[in-house]
Amino acid sequence: MQIERELRHNAKRGYRLGNSQKIAPYVFVLPFLLSFAVFFAYPLVNAGVMSFQEVLPGEVSFVGLDHYRGLWNEDFGAALYNSSRYTLLTLFLLIPVPMVLAVFLNAKTMMFSNFFRSALFIPALTSVVVAGVVFRLIFGELDGALMNTILHLFGIPSQRWLYSSSLGMFALLVLAGWRWIGINILYFLSALQSIPRELYEAAEMDGAGTMRRFMRITVPLLKPITIYVVTITIYGGYAMFTESYMLWAGKPSPQNIGLTIVGYIYQQGFQYFNLGFGSAIGITLLGITLLVSVLQLTLSGMFKRED
Amino acid sequence: MKKAFLCTTALLLILVMGLSGCGGNGNTETSPSNPPASNGGTKAEGGETEPAGGEAQKVVFWTFVDAHQKFYESMAASWNESHPDKAIELEATTIPYDDMHTKLLVALQSGVGAPDLVDIEQSKFPNFMKGTPQLVSLNDMLEPELGNIVKSRVEIYSKDNTYYGIDYHVGATVMYYNKEMLDQAGINPDDIKTWADFETAGKQMLEKTGKPMITFEGNGNWSWWPAISQQGSDQVDTDGKVTVDTPVNVKTMEFFQKLVKEGVAAVAPGAGHDTEEYFGYMDSGSAASVFMPFWFMNRFTDHIPDLKGKVIIRPMPAWEEGGNRSAGMGGTATSITNQAKNPEDIKEFLAYAKLSKEGNLQIWKQLGFDPIRTDVWSDPAMKESNKFTDYFGTDIFDTLISIKDEIAPVHIREKSPEVFDAIRNKAIPEIFIDMKEPAKVLKDVQASLK
Amino acid sequence: MQPKPKFKFTPSSLLLLVMFVILAALMLFPLYALFMASLKPATELFRYGLNVRVDFDMMSLNNYKSIFSGEGAAGNYFGWYKNSLVISALFTLLSLLFSSMVGYGLGMYRFKGRNLIFTLVLVVMMIPVEIILLPLYKLMISLKLINTIWGVILPFIVAPLPIFFFRQFALGLPRDFMDAGRMDGCSEYGIFFKIMVPLMAPAFGAITILQAMNSWNNFLWPLIVLRTTEQFTLPIGLASFVSPLGNNYEALIAGAVLAILPILLVFLFFQRYFMEGLTVGGVKG
Repeated sequence: MQIERELRHNAKRGYRLGNSQKIAPYVFVLPFLLSFAVFFAYPLVNAGVMSFQEVLPGEVSFVGLDHYRGLWNEDFGAALYNSSRYTLLTLFLLIPVPMVLAVFLNAKTMMFSNFFRSALFIPALTSVVVAGVVFRLIFGELDGALMNTILHLFGIPSQRWLYSSSLGMFALLVLAGWRWIGINILYFLSALQSIPRELYEAAEMDGAGTMRRFMRITVPLLKPITIYVVTITIYGGYAMFTESYMLWAGKPSPQNIGLTIVGYIYQQGFQYFNLGFGSAIGITLLGITLLVSVLQLTLSGMFKRED
Repeated sequence: MKKAFLCTTALLLILVMGLSGCGGNGNTETSPSNPPASNGGTKAEGGETEPAGGEAQKVVFWTFVDAHQKFYESMAASWNESHPDKAIELEATTIPYDDMHTKLLVALQSGVGAPDLVDIEQSKFPNFMKGTPQLVSLNDMLEPELGNIVKSRVEIYSKDNTYYGIDYHVGATVMYYNKEMLDQAGINPDDIKTWADFETAGKQMLEKTGKPMITFEGNGNWSWWPAISQQGSDQVDTDGKVTVDTPVNVKTMEFFQKLVKEGVAAVAPGAGHDTEEYFGYMDSGSAASVFMPFWFMNRFTDHIPDLKGKVIIRPMPAWEEGGNRSAGMGGTATSITNQAKNPEDIKEFLAYAKLSKEGNLQIWKQLGFDPIRTDVWSDPAMKESNKFTDYFGTDIFDTLISIKDEIAPVHIREKSPEVFDAIRNKAIPEIFIDMKEPAKVLKDVQASLK
Repeated sequence: MQPKPKFKFTPSSLLLLVMFVILAALMLFPLYALFMASLKPATELFRYGLNVRVDFDMMSLNNYKSIFSGEGAAGNYFGWYKNSLVISALFTLLSLLFSSMVGYGLGMYRFKGRNLIFTLVLVVMMIPVEIILLPLYKLMISLKLINTIWGVILPFIVAPLPIFFFRQFALGLPRDFMDAGRMDGCSEYGIFFKIMVPLMAPAFGAITILQAMNSWNNFLWPLIVLRTTEQFTLPIGLASFVSPLGNNYEALIAGAVLAILPILLVFLFFQRYFMEGLTVGGVKG
């Protein structure tokens, strides 16, 4: 409880000295620091140590960099390729589309805006367990399955959706779009709401067209939230596992077309019980995602306070 | 000024409260809101679990099959009736398949939180044999019974001559023929002795009805594995070496691929035989037969209702005259973990449920499995009417007795889970979906598993 | 309090309307199909796939009855329901409090170590729970939090995603309000609770929905922490209906339909709240 005393003391003194502005931010971020130290840093260091060990029940031995060397294999390559491809494609699907839809929904002329908002969001509320069952039936290979029925309308023969790499990826993207578009619309909307209408009215006075208003006012003002959505999409893309697990009914996908990096961690760590190797994959994944996000955030000038 | 102070303390209070974990201090076994009851869903024993004699011993059991939970609950109830002095109070929980094994691994690895008694599925079992097994040896109770049971069903779950688990069933693979379709094509199933006969019959089926005679899994192990097991081959040998590309294995794969090319066999929709799509496919009479282990019966009774009374069970075709006509496939062991407080008492209960005659009769009656104790197979109780005899007829165990000695043991070793996965997702789809050359595919898989 | 929107029937607005109707229909179709399936026997689902044929001979409330009767596999359904409600409510409230504080601190102030802490937030966001599962479990054992609600909630209460979101939101908050507050003699915390929290209403709305949703559907961690059937949450219970041996699709689908309801209510309630709480904004001040 030393911290408490110290803080209380500091807060009192700090306030009196008029420099509570120096202390306050630290109080605000304190919950994070505590939680980070206890629930993330400590377990993560443990996982890091495990990645250099062969962890077997009742026996632990040091194996140095063996696990990291073992990463150069076909399966990890497939997992990395799938996760990266999925992440890239979801970026194209889950940023521009919800942004434009949110702008439409926010427009004054939009009828039943609230209803559509809810309708597009509701899929996100469904648990993945259930969504997986439903989509497995939609993408079934029988003639009667929904997706194939749609193909028949266009005169295309039935497809085996979950057997080929590109069709399997398509199914994953449909599932991702179905679940996330509504959430992202919500994010963009909450930011759009705080753009004063006067801005648009002023621009209209100046004779700016719809497109121009969108590009000149909306997009720049949405920047902070766009950065946020891009970041969580990248993270969500690399962390994707449950969707593919459910789509292939918990079984390994044929020829690893649905294997993702987290899926690979799960497989190695919990299905083959190579806990050390699983940790090594995890640490590698952390490195990859960190690199990608820091790169993206630096490019978008995230670390500077926007004025 | 005061406000700053108040806000800070309030925040810290909340933090401190959160971190002190009110509600879980000390006794984590059961929280007060949660009186220890055997499963809330079944009203099997209200107050009877606590016999007048004294304290019933609590036994925590995990499984991934709801029906297994019910089976053990009923066995616990009858055990308590006949052994009031050793009464147990079973606390059973069903957890999804993968997750239960993950949870068990985490608990055994940490030395805390494992159940006393647990179901471990066959293909997961080798994982628990790595390092120092965290399970209890069952030798002292098993050895006297080895003569009465199908021995391979406990050998699968052993390491260095120590037995760690007992299976529910033999998992004898049998043919499920759609009698109605065979009649349409004029085929007598009892004339099919070998796979060559089967191919001939299949061509006749295709000619007469335009439908495939049989289905194979396109992303699973239940078609190829029993077929090589019939011929005494396997995916790993006794020493745990990978033997995926032996000549017998390649030849078998080539034959099955040929059947697919001829149209005699179809690749099962939904990639495997245990999928929703496949149930619908069979239900509508789209293929005339399938071979699957004995435990596949309840898929027919529960998910393929329209074929009731039309399906008959027969031995598999042999690869040569007098060859094996079955294989033991799949299975789930019940084991006792080293975190159990009184393993000796739990062992007695486990022996009662899995090795005794009455236990084995119940395994058939409640679960519809082929029990590992073969002397109950000829018991009149096996012909009593239940949902299985109603669906398949009463000659189920006659078929089983005829193939009793034709079930070769399978090898499950540490490498097995990886081998199974490689076969399931690489070899089988490449051979049956992409129609690649089996010899080459199996050779590549063999090389990748080195 | 939004001014009543005037609908202008222009060709473009009609086109938009048609587009959204189609989109909404596509989005809702799987759920509609799920609902229809919940009224039919499961075998129907496998034989004809997912279809939405209305067939009154076959449709019944049997699947729901099996849940409400409290027998068999679905016997614990409402217990799970209650657990999920308690856990989700607690988790959402606490994580709103902490995440908004941290996010605000990171967005509003400039202080030493700000970027480092923000980077750490990102790092936490990037850690899949699968990697730290085992160490975290061991930690929970030593904290004696296994099989408790706190064990499920505590490790993830200070959630990185909402912190990030609140930070982004705080970046756009008017700073002169802060100075005005200081002039009026508010403490820094007073400014946060009295002035800024109301301004952040839309963010609170969005994050409430998000966090409630996440905890409502959370699967892996609760499964590892909770021990007994009675303690399970809904997703774990529902998933146990689809085991490789012994599928209980009737209970699964009916249970899934009922499971959407509470989270749907949260969504409808909070979305209105955050849409309305907006126009009372700080901009006009």
